Amino acid sequence: MQKHNQKEHLYKLLVIGDLGVGKTSIIKRYVHQNFSPHYRATIGVDFALKVLSWDAETVVRLQLWDIAGQERFGNMTRVYYREAMGAFIVFDVTRPATFEAVTKWKEDLDSKLVLPNGKPVPTVLLANKCDQGIDVLMNNGIKMDQFCKENGFVGWFETSAKENININEASRCLVKHIIASESDPVQSIEPDIIKPHLNSSKIVSCSACFKS
Amino acid sequence: MKSKKASSFHEFARNTSDAWDIGDDEDEDFSSSSSSLQTLNSKVAKATAAQVLENHSKLRAKPERAQSTLSDMPTNCKVIKSSSEAQLSRTSEEACVRTPLQKQQSLPLRPVIPLVARISDQNASGAPPMTVREKTRLEKFRQLLSSHNTDLDELRKCSWPGVPREVRPVTWRLLSGYLPANMERRKLTLQRKREEYFGFIQQYYDSRNEEHHQDTYRQIHIDIPRTNPLIPLFQQPLVQEIFERILFIWAIRHPASGYVQGINDLVTPFFVVFLSEYEDVENFDVTNLSQDVLRSIEADSFWCMSKLLDGIQDNYTFAQPGIQKKVKALEELVSRIDEQVHNHFRKYEVEYLQFAFRWMNNLLMRELPLRCTIRLWDTYQSEPEGFSHFHLYVCAAFLIKWRKEILDEEDFQGLLMLLQNLPTIHWGNEEIGLLLAEAYRLKYMFADAPNHYRR
Repeated sequence: MQKHNQKEHLYKLLVIGDLGVGKTSIIKRYVHQNFSPHYRATIGVDFALKVLSWDAETVVRLQLWDIAGQERFGNMTRVYYREAMGAFIVFDVTRPATFEAVTKWKEDLDSKLVLPNGKPVPTVLLANKCDQGIDVLMNNGIKMDQFCKENGFVGWFETSAKENININEASRCLVKHIIASESDPVQSIEPDIIKPHLNSSKIVSCSACFKS
Repeated sequence: MKSKKASSFHEFARNTSDAWDIGDDEDEDFSSSSSSLQTLNSKVAKATAAQVLENHSKLRAKPERAQSTLSDMPTNCKVIKSSSEAQLSRTSEEACVRTPLQKQQSLPLRPVIPLVARISDQNASGAPPMTVREKTRLEKFRQLLSSHNTDLDELRKCSWPGVPREVRPVTWRLLSGYLPANMERRKLTLQRKREEYFGFIQQYYDSRNEEHHQDTYRQIHIDIPRTNPLIPLFQQPLVQEIFERILFIWAIRHPASGYVQGINDLVTPFFVVFLSEYEDVENFDVTNLSQDVLRSIEADSFWCMSKLLDGIQDNYTFAQPGIQKKVKALEELVSRIDEQVHNHFRKYEVEYLQFAFRWMNNLLMRELPLRCTIRLWDTYQSEPEGFSHFHLYVCAAFLIKWRKEILDEEDFQGLLMLLQNLPTIHWGNEEIGLLLAEAYRLKYMFADAPNHYRR
């Protein structure tokens, strides 16, 4: 089946965010193309695998780590984050408190995990349950772009696991950034460990990920 | 104390083989080699466990010859053969190589048990009529329960191999330490405890929307609809409200842990068992029950769950040290009893925490059908430190049960996918009985003399 000259990448991706925001639903939709309102709360971590034909030469295997929403308080996240290459942070647009938790998740992630070149792992923000029509936060896309820049997200998407909105797109955006960060070894030489705004230039170069 | 435990296991073995109905008693002659390292108790226990397993496997199918696989056997499986034990120990190797346990998977005679139906017990109405032995056992329970002072040691012994569903609610109340052994005190105690619980509700439940408690309440509120999502009973608003109250009160009364995801599952067995006292639980509409009955079920579930959690509190305090410790202990144990599986995990970089965290946090409830959890808890409540300690051995036995499937998987994803979706959907009392016998054997082999087995 596999072509001889095909490259294969395996990436570990984290899916994190407060409990009940739809992390498991997003993964089930992405991997199994279905949705159920009946998923049980994730305990610890669940695993899923998604294989993408990235381009003619490249197959990307995504190892998705679905981490329980309460874990940030359980002090176990360090173990789960290890060697991840990218992350989704998810919040529920119908519950503002879950958006407030986004920065806490991002801090938790960045404090426990950096790429071999010392940079934070590429992270995409998902505003889930956008089908519910309660747009408490989404009425201003520019604000969200700003939020992402300030907090070091490489992009953000309104998603719905239920209606299958933007999940494939969000994933492609994240993978694109991972591939870019992999072929970016120059960065490792730079003494930029504590420069949170450094990646803002990268964000601008990826305007495709943002809503217009 | 040790000998006492061992004798209770003999009792267990007798009862269990009764329940499983010993078939033809053909002679199987396995040679045993000797080793002087073992304590009497582990010998006896192991041999007895072997007997249980053997009886069972005879009933089902002819076990494969054990000799061919003896070389895979851990050396510590060897048993001294003495005249008094010859009868028991003759087939212990057979149990050690685990063939009887593994033969379970492809048995043709197994009745199909639906996922949701018979959530309380597969032997509920609709099952074949009681055997004479089952009737005798039930009679023994009734005797114990109706005596002026219930002999709790005896009750534990009888309950270890499973409690008949007819007497399970009262037996559980007694085993958990909620109901006093003294008959005269029971009614008053229940009344007092139920009032006490509803006093908490009155005092605290309104605070669920106040700032310092609203996070706790919100988390519970999100988790309740997705507790047992496939069982219609738990989608009834009245039932969900009961669960919310129980969990909220428990959480705010235990600020060192608060509400931790997974605790919600632990209410379910109690609720179902206490409900079964009044109704056949399947698809039952709880609004048909009187207010008083519902309140009793709620309060009893709360107190029994609290008793359970008292014993495993460090599972749920900050950083969940109890779970971390037990997962480590599981790893250590598996590395000794099945090096091949252990090395297989290492080879593919599977960490025990990745699958066993849930096994500890939810007491295997996510891995087993509810009816099996209920049967498992009969034993956990009869076993000293059942939930906090014996569970570890059950987890080890459970893991090894799947060794063939595990060794067949050859990458990280495959292994994790297997370990997180183990096919137990058809499991019933029989599988749990075998699992517990194996766990008991492990406990005696390794808990009492850990140094003998250190690698």
